[in-house]
Amino acid sequence: MTVTTDPVALNEWVPCAWHGQIAIGAALDTMIFGQDIRVERTGDQDYRVTTFGGDSPRELPVQTRYTCVFTTLGDDPRALPEIPEFDEADRRITGCGRVGVNTSPYRIVENFLDMAHFSFIHTDILGAADQTEVLSYRTEHRKDVDEIWAIDCTFYQPAASKAAAGGQLTKYLYRVMSPFSVMLYKNVATDPSRNDAICVFIQPRRETECLAYMPMAIVDEQSTIADIIDFQQSIFLQDRVILENQRPALLPLDPTYELPTRADASSIAYRRWLKAMNIRFGILEKQAA
Amino acid sequence: MSVAQGRWTGVALDHQIQPASSNPVVLNGQALAVWRGEDGPVRVWEDRCPHRGMRLSFGFVRGNTLRCIYHGWAYGADGQCAEIPAHPALAPPKTICANSYPAETRYGIVWTTLGDGASGPPDLGPDEGWEGVRSLFVAASAEAALTALARFDFGAGATTRMLAGDIVEVSFGPELRMLVVVQAMDDERAALHAAAKGARATEERAALAKRLERLRADIEQA
Repeated sequence: MTVTTDPVALNEWVPCAWHGQIAIGAALDTMIFGQDIRVERTGDQDYRVTTFGGDSPRELPVQTRYTCVFTTLGDDPRALPEIPEFDEADRRITGCGRVGVNTSPYRIVENFLDMAHFSFIHTDILGAADQTEVLSYRTEHRKDVDEIWAIDCTFYQPAASKAAAGGQLTKYLYRVMSPFSVMLYKNVATDPSRNDAICVFIQPRRETECLAYMPMAIVDEQSTIADIIDFQQSIFLQDRVILENQRPALLPLDPTYELPTRADASSIAYRRWLKAMNIRFGILEKQAA
Repeated sequence: MSVAQGRWTGVALDHQIQPASSNPVVLNGQALAVWRGEDGPVRVWEDRCPHRGMRLSFGFVRGNTLRCIYHGWAYGADGQCAEIPAHPALAPPKTICANSYPAETRYGIVWTTLGDGASGPPDLGPDEGWEGVRSLFVAASAEAALTALARFDFGAGATTRMLAGDIVEVSFGPELRMLVVVQAMDDERAALHAAAKGARATEERAALAKRLERLRADIEQA
């Protein structure tokens, strides 16, 4: 495809590499929204992002946060979200590299928001085959920050995290910070007063071709970083099989095209929000009847 | 697509659609889930769960319901959603229904149509005694496959006859007949499904399958 002209999609910050992926002095060619870009690492914490191919090259804004290098093609982008957990000294902060997923970015966000698939796709880890019920939860559009939240979520999990010693009723909070980023807070097995923070930031290469980055700020004194990454990647690879086999890959916003139930309240709120912001990139165009 | 939407086409061999299985099939660019319950007939549905679009050919069968692998939603033989595991006490609304196509097994072959199915699958005589030989998948259009099939030399004494637009009968004398049905998958891929009948059908099955492999090489070289 050519570079998207959708101003809504263009005015978002998206990741284009993870910090550490590129050696100092080296560069990585990649793509966002159909635009070829080059990510050069000019110093330990310094990156330079430029477009190439097509129009005359231009330099793009860049910032490094949450283990990722972010850039944007927009002139007036929505700010990156504030996630204070990443500043807490005792947290284990890690990304999980990046995983290619051939679908639209919104399918990835919806899968992350969804508790009803735990028992079927993450059986004996995030869900049990005989405890499939999704109890009612609430969703909110927080207008001050323009984010979608799902609160009071609970689900029985046989092995909720690398640190979990057995089954637990996990409490979740979900937070959609932008069309291309989502995170959750889930209660920590060892300390009921704290929440693990797990994010997904999506780099849309093209409408149905994405790279997913999973920065995490975890409370876990025991596990190695490699174990924590391994757990998260195993979960995500189980999801990828699903994500790449949903049809169509583009997200339909017409509520009669895909039929939700109460457990999909967060997906319903997300789709309404996308519709209201009139985003077009990666969205299924209305089909003629 | 060149194949008329209303026409019935063979899309699988009956014996290949195992009990309690769901299988992916592409017909004229349309993705289908061809599945069978623990017993009973083969069903042909759109390969898409009405909930979140997951392919139903990835689904699993329990009893005579097909369950979507993503959230376990169960669909009965009529396509109606019968159970949503996230809400065990909820009776699913009637609006949640898998999109189904007409399906019939005849001559050892599973037939379907993307049209209304009013005409029924082709009538090529009595249904008894046919057994599946094999299915072949070729990197060629259905037209190219049919052209090569009509010209193919199946050996001494074999005569080839076009029965309908996409069905060929190969006769090897009074004791052996073979049907070959060509299914358009898309513009560049086709499937061939062959079934045989006659006193020598069982003993010749392996030899027929070998000849069909040579036919595939012919089609793909054309």
